[in-house]
Amino acid sequence: MIRCSGLVKSYPAGHGRKLVLGGVDLTIGRGQKLGVLGRNGAGKTTLIKMIGGVEMPTAGRIERKMTVSWPLGFGGGFQGSLTGYDNARFIARIYGRDYREIQDFLEDFTELGRQLAMPVKTYSSGMRARLAFALSLAIEFDCYLIDEVIMVGDQNFQRKCHEEIFVKRRDRALILASHSVETIRQYCDMALLIDRGSASVKGDIEEAIALYSNL
Amino acid sequence: MAALHQGWAIQTRVIQALIIRELTTRFGRENIGFLWVMAEPLLFAVLVGLLWRFEKGPQEHGVSIIAFVATGYLPLVMFRSTVLRAMGSFAANSSLMYHRQVKILDLILVRFFVEMIGHMMAYLFIGTVLYALDEFPWPHDLGYLLLGWSYYALFTLTLATIVAPLSEMSEVLEKVMPVTTYLMVPFSGAFFMADWLAPNIKAAVLWSPPVHAMEMMRYGVFGDAVYPHFSLTYTPAWCLPVLMVGLMLCRHVRRVMVVE
Repeated sequence: MIRCSGLVKSYPAGHGRKLVLGGVDLTIGRGQKLGVLGRNGAGKTTLIKMIGGVEMPTAGRIERKMTVSWPLGFGGGFQGSLTGYDNARFIARIYGRDYREIQDFLEDFTELGRQLAMPVKTYSSGMRARLAFALSLAIEFDCYLIDEVIMVGDQNFQRKCHEEIFVKRRDRALILASHSVETIRQYCDMALLIDRGSASVKGDIEEAIALYSNL
Repeated sequence: MAALHQGWAIQTRVIQALIIRELTTRFGRENIGFLWVMAEPLLFAVLVGLLWRFEKGPQEHGVSIIAFVATGYLPLVMFRSTVLRAMGSFAANSSLMYHRQVKILDLILVRFFVEMIGHMMAYLFIGTVLYALDEFPWPHDLGYLLLGWSYYALFTLTLATIVAPLSEMSEVLEKVMPVTTYLMVPFSGAFFMADWLAPNIKAAVLWSPPVHAMEMMRYGVFGDAVYPHFSLTYTPAWCLPVLMVGLMLCRHVRRVMVVE
C-alpha cells in the first residue's frame, strides 16, 4: 500500500513560490491501477517523482508499504556517459540483484543488440525507455510508476510492455500518468485528476475523463 | 535492530556500487584504469619534492627533504581534490536520486573514499620507494601515523560535507573555493613543523585542525627527529560540531532539490 496524505509541493519562482500541488490525499493498494490526468504542467510528473522519492514534498507525508519502482519516464535514473550494460550492472548492484540473471531479460526485452555496449547518452528517448522498462521489470516491483513513456515506443515495444505489465504482472499496482484517454480507460481502475493545484481521486474513470476533456 | 542491520547492508551495497561507478566514469577500463587515482598525487609529490631537494639541499632541520615534502603534500592534495570535487557533486549526480536507496550523503562519501584510498595508496607507494632509496625512515610509530591520517581525513570529510550543499545554494562559492584552498596551504601544516615557527605564528597555525593531524603523522614517521605540537582531542572536537552543521545543510538541500 502507498498512502499520501496532505502532499504539498511548491517551487521558488522569482520572489515568491509557485504552488504545484496543494494537498493531495491518495491511497493505492496492491494491484490497484491509478491513471493520472492533467494538462501540461499540472503536476503529474511532480506527483510521480514524489511518490518515487526522487523529490521531497514541501509538506505532507508518503508511506510506502510495498516496493515502488523509480519513475519510468523520458530521462532520469541513468548515467549518460556509461554504457547500457554498465548502467544495468550498477542498478543490479544497488537493488541487490545478480546481474547475470537480469542480463538475458535485458537483451531480449530491449532488442538493442550492440547498442547496449554504447554510452546511454547516444540513445534516443525510445531506446532509453526500453532500457528503463527492461531493468525495472527484471528487478520486479510491487508498484510501477510510469510517466507517459509507454506512448513513446514503437508498436513492437508497446506490445511487449502490454504483455509484461498488464498481462504477466496483472497483480501489481500501477500509477500511470498519461494524456492518452484511451490508455487510461483501457488499463486503469481509478483516476486522479489534477487541475490548478488540486487533485481528486475518482473511482469512476468515465467521470474523470469527462472532467478532463472539459479542462 | 533488524531494520538497522538491513539499512547498513543496503548502504554498504550502494557505496560499493557507487565506488565502482565513480571509478569507471572517471578512469575508464583502458590501460591502468583505477590506478590513475594515485598517479596524479604521486606526480605532484615527487615533482614538488625534487624541486625542494634542488632548491634547499638534501635535508631540512635534520630530516630528508623529499620525505618531508611527500608526507606533507599527499594529505594536502587529498584535502584539496576532495573539497573541490565535492562542489556541485549533488547537481552533477542528481539522476542517482531516482533510486531511493541512494542517499545524498553517499554522493559525498563515495568521492571522499575514492580520493582517500587513492592518496593513501600513493603515500604507501612513495614511502616504499623512498625507503628503498634510503630517503625515508621506517615509521617510528604506526599508531600516530594512522591516527594522524584519520584526523586529516575527518577534517577533509567535514569540509566536503559543508562545501557540497553550500555550492548548491550559492554560485559565488564555486568561484572563490579554488583560491580559498590555495590560501589554506599555510594552515595545512604541509610544509613546516610548528616548532620551526616564531611563537606567535606557531600559536596561530595551531588553531587549524589539520596542523595537529599533520604534526601527528610527522611524529609517526620521523619520531624524535622532529618535535611535534599537537592535541589528541582538538581535531575531532573541531570537526564533529561542524560535521553536524554540514549534515543539516545536506538534509536541507535534499529537501528542496529539483531533479530533472
